[in-house]
This record gives sequence, structure tokens and C-alpha cells, in this order.
Amino acid sequence: MSNSQTVALSTQALVAGYDPDLPIVRGVDFSIRSGELVIVLGPNGAGKSTFVKAIAGLVPIHSGATILGDFDITAVPTHEKIRHGLAFVPQTENIFATMSIHDNLLLAANVLPKEKRSRRVADLYAMFPDLAARPSLRAGQLSGGQRQMLAVARALIVEPSVLILDEPSAGLSPKIVQEVFAHLKAINETGVTIILVEQNVKAALAIADRAAILVEGQLRHEGPAATLAEDPIVAELYLGARHAGKAVTS
Amino acid sequence: MNPQLIMDGLIAGAMIGLGAIGITLTYSILRFANFAHGEMISWGAYLALATSGLLGSLSGALLKPIGPFSFGWSLPLAVFAAVALTAALALFVDALLFGPLRKRRSAIIIMVMASFGASLALRSLLEFIFTSKPVYFSKALQIALPLGGGLRATPDQLLSLTIAALLVVAVHILLTHTAIGRSMRAVSENLQLAGVAGIDVRKVIRTVWVLGAGLACIAGVMAGLLVQIRPYMGFDLLLPLFAAAILGGIGSVPGAMLAGLIVGLAEALGVQLIGAEWRAAVAFMILVFVLLLRPQGLFGRAE
Repeated sequence: MSNSQTVALSTQALVAGYDPDLPIVRGVDFSIRSGELVIVLGPNGAGKSTFVKAIAGLVPIHSGATILGDFDITAVPTHEKIRHGLAFVPQTENIFATMSIHDNLLLAANVLPKEKRSRRVADLYAMFPDLAARPSLRAGQLSGGQRQMLAVARALIVEPSVLILDEPSAGLSPKIVQEVFAHLKAINETGVTIILVEQNVKAALAIADRAAILVEGQLRHEGPAATLAEDPIVAELYLGARHAGKAVTS
Repeated sequence: MNPQLIMDGLIAGAMIGLGAIGITLTYSILRFANFAHGEMISWGAYLALATSGLLGSLSGALLKPIGPFSFGWSLPLAVFAAVALTAALALFVDALLFGPLRKRRSAIIIMVMASFGASLALRSLLEFIFTSKPVYFSKALQIALPLGGGLRATPDQLLSLTIAALLVVAVHILLTHTAIGRSMRAVSENLQLAGVAGIDVRKVIRTVWVLGAGLACIAGVMAGLLVQIRPYMGFDLLLPLFAAAILGGIGSVPGAMLAGLIVGLAEALGVQLIGAEWRAAVAFMILVFVLLLRPQGLFGRAE
């Protein structure tokens, strides 16, 4: 859904990592337009997760900038970013497993004005009927797919302008992955800009507008998802040299 | 065996339980064993004593005992001020010591050692200001009322038990039914995710200090009212406090209170069966057995 030319989020020469002397993300210039769904690909250790965690405020940024809309959020504390419209779903431990489904949603709704909280929780239950069926169930008892749905619901409750997900398909069966991605596509079609870090290339390219490929902490290649899916360079950069020359098929 | 040990154990256990709630909250949310928590009990008692004395000097009528109790209105009024002052002291220690260490991402052992240092400094300061001579909220003698079954308790003791029970219920409701309580549980479970979910972790940490110190102050006032006030009163409670926090399961408020009562009863039983000099050993034995047999405690979750 790249129906707008407005930049929803961009990074400018972003350098980030836990150790300032050994940055993992090394000068990444990246941008995503409003309503787009962009998949971030790359081989293991390319810095994909670090890149999105740095945007979310979970990894120190050493230089460069992160701009959300027109607002520089580089130095904004992690807990404030969601108020500016940036929601992040980590790869693992992305729900509060000891709390009920309802408490997970109420907790996320706390950042909203009081009068909006109940309505948004009801909206999310309508969007994810599986969660509405057992609101008092402890979140730790949910299946892998349901956990991802709860994590996404938690992130969506604030009606973010940009939603970042770090490998939402990790550990899920192919059937559940299809369900999760179908939900993400539907969310994207409501106008939410989505950045998706994924290892499940085929499924992710099928729903993405564009793909960006990170290699060794640098943005090496980007382009429309449809053409990248057939591009041998994706196979070379993403799958490694032994797959060079083959298009992405898995 | 004298059935009065049940009442003695419950009263001691209520004080231990209130103190253990602070320990368990600090441990689960700030992730270190705060050995300075006992000092909040002592400081709370002394601050209430000083404020009560000040109020009494302003109006003698405030010292006149209320109904069957041994204290006048100066004490309940002083408790409000003492809770606020003890909470302010805890926030001050955090800003001065623990906060900068957290910022540097110091190891847990450094936080624990820092809490030992804070404990020593706070206790020495208390001794310097108030001397080590025991003092009392009231020297009025109270007659213990027969409760049936061979049990007796003074009105002050019954009031302390009631207040402890009400406070546990209140803290439990706070944690389970309010936004700040949910935030505290979230930070306790996953600090990073809590930040991503929009929770201001610093605000939660401040709340934990205020809540823990407030409860410690009330435990200190109860201890002062029922026994005596000494600079070492909190330090002496430290072992039973940790035994109760671990027995109850780290992070569990009802668990801490129930375990406090168990430790109090076990101590009272130990005193009657093997002698008062073994009181501390009872808490120590409980601590060792829990760590060996059920490290997650009664209400904790296995890792």
C-alpha cells in the first residue's frame, strides 16, 4: 500500500550497537512511506534486529538520527516513542505471560486518554476474536500464533502510525505464519505503516510492498518486493554465495 | 505448650510480613536484595516518634490515650508524616546511590553491596542522632484481653494485626486492579517490554520505593508500639524479612504476608520449645530449607 509519498519514518546515517567501539548497525539511511509495508531482510548477524531495536530505543544509537514523520525521535526515551506513534513488537517475550489477555491490553491502553481506553480494547477484541473469547486467560497459556496476535494487538491499541515487528513468524508453523501475515496485511491496508524483519522470505515478500536488505550492518540493496522475489541478488545476499544465481523460492 | 505462642507469633509475623512486602517488591522489580530495607523500618519508627513528640509538645491533648489504646492522637497523625518522610528517605537513597548504579548497568552484586553500605550508614546516622538507648511510644501498661482458647492480646496488638491485614489487602488490590499495579507487575516480568509498552520504568521504580518504605515505616511503628524502638530494630528483622520474602515467593504480596506469619509463628514456637536464644536460627533454617526444597517459594513460579 504505497499510496502516499509522505515519509512515515526514516533513519539518517544510523550507527547503533551495544558497544560504541563495535557498532552493529553502520550508517544506515532508510525510509518508509506512509502506508507502506517494507520487509527488512539479510543474513544472520546482518544487524536487522539491532536496526529495528535501535529505532525502538532498545539499543543505544551512537550517531545518526531517527525521524518519525517530521519529528526527531532519536533521543526520545523508549516509553515515550509509543506516544509519538511508533509501536514495536519484539521477536520473543513480546507479551506479559503472567498477566491475563485483558490485563495485557489494559496495560498497553494506559498511554491513551482515559475516555478512549475501553473503546480501543473493545476495538482490538473485535479485530482479534480469538483473544475476545477468553480475556481472563493467562497470556502464557496462549499458543504461539495467539501470542503473536496478542503482541500485535498490544502494539496496535495506541493506533500507531508505524508498527515495527521483529520476526513475528519465528517458531510458528507455516499455517499459522500465513494467518499472522494475513492479519498484518489487513492491518497495513487500514493505513498502518509496517516494517517487518523476517527470515521467512517467501511469505514476507508476498505481502510486502518493498524490501530492504541489510548486510554487515549496512543497507546493501532495496527495491519493490515483487521484483526482488525474482532477483538473483537477493539469493546471493540473503541466502549466501552458494545460492547465487537462484531466485528466492523459500 | 502455651497457646499464647500463636498470638505472639501472629503479631511478630504481621510486622515481618509488612517488611517482607517491601523486600519482595524491591527484589522483583529492581532485581536486587536490598539489605538497607531494615533501616527503613528503624527510620520509620524514629521519624514517627520524633513527629509524635513534636505534636505532643504543641498540644498536650494529643498525648491523651485514645480509648483502650496506649497512645494518643499524636501517634496516628505522626504516622502519616513518618510514612511520607520514610518514603522521601528511600527516594533520596535511590537518587544518591542506586539510581546512578542502575544507570551504569552495575552488576547485581554491586547493588547488593551498595545496599549493605547504605544500611550501615543509615543505622550509624540513626544511632548518632537518637543514641542507642531504647525508647518507647508510650510507657503506659496495657492489660491483655482474654480472646478465648487460652489466647490473650492487648488492644494495641489487635489494632496492629487489623492494620497489617488491611494493608495487605490494599496492596494486593493496588497491584492487581490499578494501572500502576499492572505497570509494576509488567516491569517485574519484563523490563524491556514494559518500556516498549509505554510504561515509564522510572516512575514504577519510584512507586516501589515509596510503597516499600511506607510499609516498612508502619512495620517499624508497630514494632515500636509493641516492643521498643532501637537503631538495630530493623537490622535484627532482616533475616526473618528475607526468609518471609523468599518463602512467600518473590513478587507475591499475599505470599510475603502469609510467609511472614509462618516465620513469626515458627519463631514463637522455637522460642517456647528450644529457647529465645534460638529465635534467629529458626528464620535461618526456614530460609535454608526453602532455598533447598522450593526456591520459588509458596506462590512463586519455577524458573
